Amino acid sequence: MSKTKAIILDPLSDNNPITIQVLGICSALAVTVKMETAIVMCVALTFVLTLSNTVISLLRTVIPSQIRMIVEMSVIASLVVLTDQVLKAFLYDISTQLSVFVGLIITNCIVMGRAEAFALQNPPYLSFLDGLGNALGYSAVLIIVATIREILGTGTWYGLPVLPEAYIGNGLATLAPGAFIIVGLIIWVQRTIIKKFEDS
Amino acid sequence: MELINLAVKAIFIENMVLAFFLGMCSFLALSKKVETATGLGFAVIFVLGITCPMNWFIHEFLLKPEALAWTHIDALAGLDLSFLNFICFIAVIASLVQLVEMTLDRFFPALYNALGIFLPLITVNCSILGGSLFMVEREYGFTESLVFGLSAGFGFFLAIVGLAAIRNKLRYSNIPPGLRGLGITFILTGLMAIGFLCFAGIQLD
Amino acid sequence: MPKDDTRIILFAAIVCVICSLVLSATAAVLRKRQDENAETDRKMNVLQAFGIEVRNEKGKKLLSAEEVEDYFVEYISEVVLEAESGEIIPDLTSKNLSRTELKEKTRLPLYLWSENGNVVKYAFPISGRGLWSTVHGYLALDKDLATVVGVTFYKHGETPGLGAECSEPWFMSQFAGKKLWGDGDLLPFEVVKNGVPSKYPDGCDYCVDGITAATITSNGIMKFIRSDMNAYNKYFVTIRGS
Repeated sequence: MSKTKAIILDPLSDNNPITIQVLGICSALAVTVKMETAIVMCVALTFVLTLSNTVISLLRTVIPSQIRMIVEMSVIASLVVLTDQVLKAFLYDISTQLSVFVGLIITNCIVMGRAEAFALQNPPYLSFLDGLGNALGYSAVLIIVATIREILGTGTWYGLPVLPEAYIGNGLATLAPGAFIIVGLIIWVQRTIIKKFEDS
Repeated sequence: MELINLAVKAIFIENMVLAFFLGMCSFLALSKKVETATGLGFAVIFVLGITCPMNWFIHEFLLKPEALAWTHIDALAGLDLSFLNFICFIAVIASLVQLVEMTLDRFFPALYNALGIFLPLITVNCSILGGSLFMVEREYGFTESLVFGLSAGFGFFLAIVGLAAIRNKLRYSNIPPGLRGLGITFILTGLMAIGFLCFAGIQLD
Repeated sequence: MPKDDTRIILFAAIVCVICSLVLSATAAVLRKRQDENAETDRKMNVLQAFGIEVRNEKGKKLLSAEEVEDYFVEYISEVVLEAESGEIIPDLTSKNLSRTELKEKTRLPLYLWSENGNVVKYAFPISGRGLWSTVHGYLALDKDLATVVGVTFYKHGETPGLGAECSEPWFMSQFAGKKLWGDGDLLPFEVVKNGVPSKYPDGCDYCVDGITAATITSNGIMKFIRSDMNAYNKYFVTIRGS
């Protein structure tokens, strides 16, 4: 029991995919301008990650090693296309705002990374949990970054006004540089708290 | 003239890394030394410069709505296969990178060894797939996708070599423990991004 | 061929077939909904040009898909013009036009807003080169086919704060009331750099203020409004004043 618990909880902080494993950074920065888009991205990634881990784990004994990577890519790409199609059908506005970034889940290092590092060596149930845990860790970081960027940038949270009308809005937080700096600071805080330092 | 506009936009104003956050993983991991950064930069220019036009062909003549009209087969002419974009593009990219790998291994072994593991990692570099996806979204033509691919690659090259140079200078600085490595790299990238933002006001007449 | 290779090829083939089936099935099932979404989006832009408020300042949609459809059913009809002759091609709407025809403007869609059996407003798509991208919009004219009712620029890739100001309310609202036709001829519509008063201190019926520091986008908009109006005018002269 404690092993499964560790699989889900580790990626939340100790082994967080974004801040510790350094995977999946691209989308963490791109879609966190507003909470709305960040949440949709989190859901999309959770869907893709859990399913791809499970499928690849189910296939792990039969995949010929020579075509291993391309089979993984096919599975991941198909799942992402599915997600994209569903978004275009049911959440059209958000899908136009996410634009190419849903497709970029295919190259999201977390999905490929966990497939190689975990799903290929572990049974389906554990792989599913690992996918879920990493997706939760990813979502946690995304929500924190999006909260900071949306409140600082436009004074709202999920579209609801949080700061008084007089707050003009810090444009830097909504642009690329702000995202980098905010994530850098979050990493600083997190690593200092859990005391996991890198050698310079 | 418009092609120059496009190139300037792709290199400076809408830099793949600094404005769109694409290619971050390898960008962060491989910017520690200037030599590896340069090698990766060249590889990205090459791969982007080829995959963008190649994917343009596939999109233009196979996948986009009504693309198959050239076959003059009625049943195919009205098809919209654009939902296969992602899969086809990534397949093209993976194949091209594999081909490049094999060619380098056979004809330029020194370069192949220098690039090492980074070459296959280009397949999952967001900026390569991102380049093709932007090309589709913005409905570029053939020359435009070629110019865009090369320029976007060059923009990536500039950003990664720049960051490697800065990190090189910082090697002996006294950075707080929590910030060392990833943290300070992010903040540096943020500052570089602010620098590149200044290009946003360019108007070419 | 050694057994291993056969196995690899067989496995690869199976993966391909399964992936294709799953994706094609999804695409086929969801296609209708996706097309409807894109269509509603497009119709909202037409309504916006006609002067209906479709979004609030924060960009949130004010109308549901049904309400958009109701407007279209009650007020709006569509025709398609042959660009060369300026004549109506019977029984066609913009849905029947191919992407090439739309892009090269060989056939021109036109929207008519009718009340009590009379056409009171017209709207048509406008598009052309900005600085970095193609700017897309709709322009609506009053029944005199001379005065602008409204304009909207809904799609572009211009620089935020500069060219992208073209889709801001302050820029688009200037167009209402401006004239594109007068004295029996097309008026030289102008987007004036540094603002209308700087060049026309007594005002100008066919001018709007340009966007500061975004001369190329402003000039681009001016050029394509002129050329699109010119294209549609072949038809307009046949019905103007009737």
